[in-house]
Amino acid sequence: MLDHYWNAFATVLLPQNILAIGLGGLWGLLAGALPGISTSMGVVLLLSFTYTLSPMTAFSMLVAAYCGGITGGSITSILFGIPGEPSSVPTVIEGHALAKQGHAAFALWTFLLCSIFGGIFSVLVMMAATPLIANFALKFGPPEFFALTILGLSVVSGLSGGSLLKGFLSCSFGLFLATIGTDGITGGERFTFDTMILLGGINFVTAMVGLLAVSEILIEAEEPFKEYKGHVGYRGMRAEMPKFSLFRKNWFNLIRSPIIGTIVGALPGAGATIASFLAYGEAARTSKEPEKFGHGAIDGLMASESANNASTGGSMTILLSLGLPGSNTTAMMIAAFMIHGMQPGPLLLSTHPEIVYGIFVAMLLSNLFLLVLTIMGIRLFLELNRLPYSVFSAAIIILCVIGAFGLQNSVDDLFVMFAFGLIGYVMRKFGIPVAPAILALVLGDMAELALRRSLLLSLGDPMILVSRPISVILLAAAVFSIVYPLFKKPKMLQGL
Amino acid sequence: MKKGEIALGAFCVAFFSFMFFEAVQLHGVGRFGEVGSGFWPMLFLGVSVLLSLGWLIATLGKFFKAKGEAAAESSPEASADTRGRRKKVGLSILCIFAYILAMPWIGFILSTFFFVPAFALALEERRKLVLIISPFLVTAITILVFAKFIAIPFPRGVGIFTVFSRLFY
Repeated sequence: MLDHYWNAFATVLLPQNILAIGLGGLWGLLAGALPGISTSMGVVLLLSFTYTLSPMTAFSMLVAAYCGGITGGSITSILFGIPGEPSSVPTVIEGHALAKQGHAAFALWTFLLCSIFGGIFSVLVMMAATPLIANFALKFGPPEFFALTILGLSVVSGLSGGSLLKGFLSCSFGLFLATIGTDGITGGERFTFDTMILLGGINFVTAMVGLLAVSEILIEAEEPFKEYKGHVGYRGMRAEMPKFSLFRKNWFNLIRSPIIGTIVGALPGAGATIASFLAYGEAARTSKEPEKFGHGAIDGLMASESANNASTGGSMTILLSLGLPGSNTTAMMIAAFMIHGMQPGPLLLSTHPEIVYGIFVAMLLSNLFLLVLTIMGIRLFLELNRLPYSVFSAAIIILCVIGAFGLQNSVDDLFVMFAFGLIGYVMRKFGIPVAPAILALVLGDMAELALRRSLLLSLGDPMILVSRPISVILLAAAVFSIVYPLFKKPKMLQGL
Repeated sequence: MKKGEIALGAFCVAFFSFMFFEAVQLHGVGRFGEVGSGFWPMLFLGVSVLLSLGWLIATLGKFFKAKGEAAAESSPEASADTRGRRKKVGLSILCIFAYILAMPWIGFILSTFFFVPAFALALEERRKLVLIISPFLVTAITILVFAKFIAIPFPRGVGIFTVFSRLFY
């Protein structure tokens, strides 16, 4: 294992990979900071840059963008009171309040240091846990993989929006999209209606770009044309730095919150938003000064920021060891693996250990670089905010077109992307969450193949799915995640 | 919005039902234990039909309930605002579609050059400086980064447009 880390450091520290981490991190920060672009959208748009890069350079750039995106959402939250990411809402509440009191730099330093701490904590957990989980997962058979994918789909459907029914409808739609094309086992055509475009199936990168990015631009187009000019007095990061005693005083919060973030990030479909809110809620519950919450509680800010960055390591652990996306963004990473001819999962550690250990090191370095990148990013963001939003939107559409075209150099993919952009827009207009459809599109094939292989193994007996202890536990967890929201939706998630 | 939701719900019921019947035709059993191509689609499409029906019934219920209560009339300003938003979205969609349609014919560089100000105009951008400068900047940066540096083979168009595109990439 030490040999792997040594090689990984040697590879990641090559100039092209360092540059990739820097550029990816900066792009992620800006994508997270700019309202209208989410972290997952930023990663999708970055995919087109990575087609011709070597795998290690590509993944360095993408993981840096992922870490940067989660961090960047807090910049606008503190300076403008606008959450760049849903996971930054607690930061708006506490960080912006601090900024309005004249402590913008203090809030920015606190968020930055806690984010980096949370990120590094989860990377260390990822380094330890991924090989263990991957080894354990080698014992998984088709029934266990089927149960795991069902768990992933049920969690994201149950927690992604206000309506459980719409969440599952979106999931079903994604599962349907995954079946279009050629059947992986019999080779027969399904739902192609004799068209060439559909014969190869729906390319999920194209669908993701449309459902996520194009639909977002169309939704933003409805709002009155706006460019936010005012911000609380930011005079530079040197204005007010927090003292070490502040962090020593909040040591328990700083240990608890990244743990919450890492565990929640590892749950398929949960992600940074839930991690951030759960940690914030815990901090509020156990705080010695609960009356400060809502008016600039520093422990609330620390909790949400360390947890939301810690979720990145948790999500990546599940992606690398089991091949399951822990969040929307890691679902995009699956596309990156496929573009470079790899499949994330338990076998990845044995077939491409240099990639897995390289990703560990790249994430560690990304979190360290974020300190410098964020300070640069704040200035750049304030300048970019002067750009006309209309032109910015046009540029995003062009990036989407390039991303969709660059996959197979086919104009047909552009029409597919456009169609999914319209579908995504209609879905969002009617409150149907898009995330379950995207994840179902990714997991649908996996789920079907696992189910059919299980039934082949058992000669058609469905009891194989509930006769193995691991698959029973996972299916029970899936049922729980479906039933739980029917009885109790945490107050903090209402309205999300 | 309720009428739109009812229409969408009805469309979902029809769509998933149609696909369910398509899946039934795919259903075939091969060797023992092999459930065939149609099994998995039938499973979730059946659930989808039920979910869509549930959504449609719930929406119809809310619609008839709201109809029974006194309905608040929207002000002329709100109606005008809604029309304005729909117009912006409609124009944006048209711009994107025209961009994609035109690209194989006139090439990436020209289609992008015209798309930028057209899309900005659709979003009610009126500043002349922005509309004049942005197409040049955006197209130049895009060609430099993606066509030259990353070497993505963008469409060059046909006829005279190919000749024009070859001047740049």
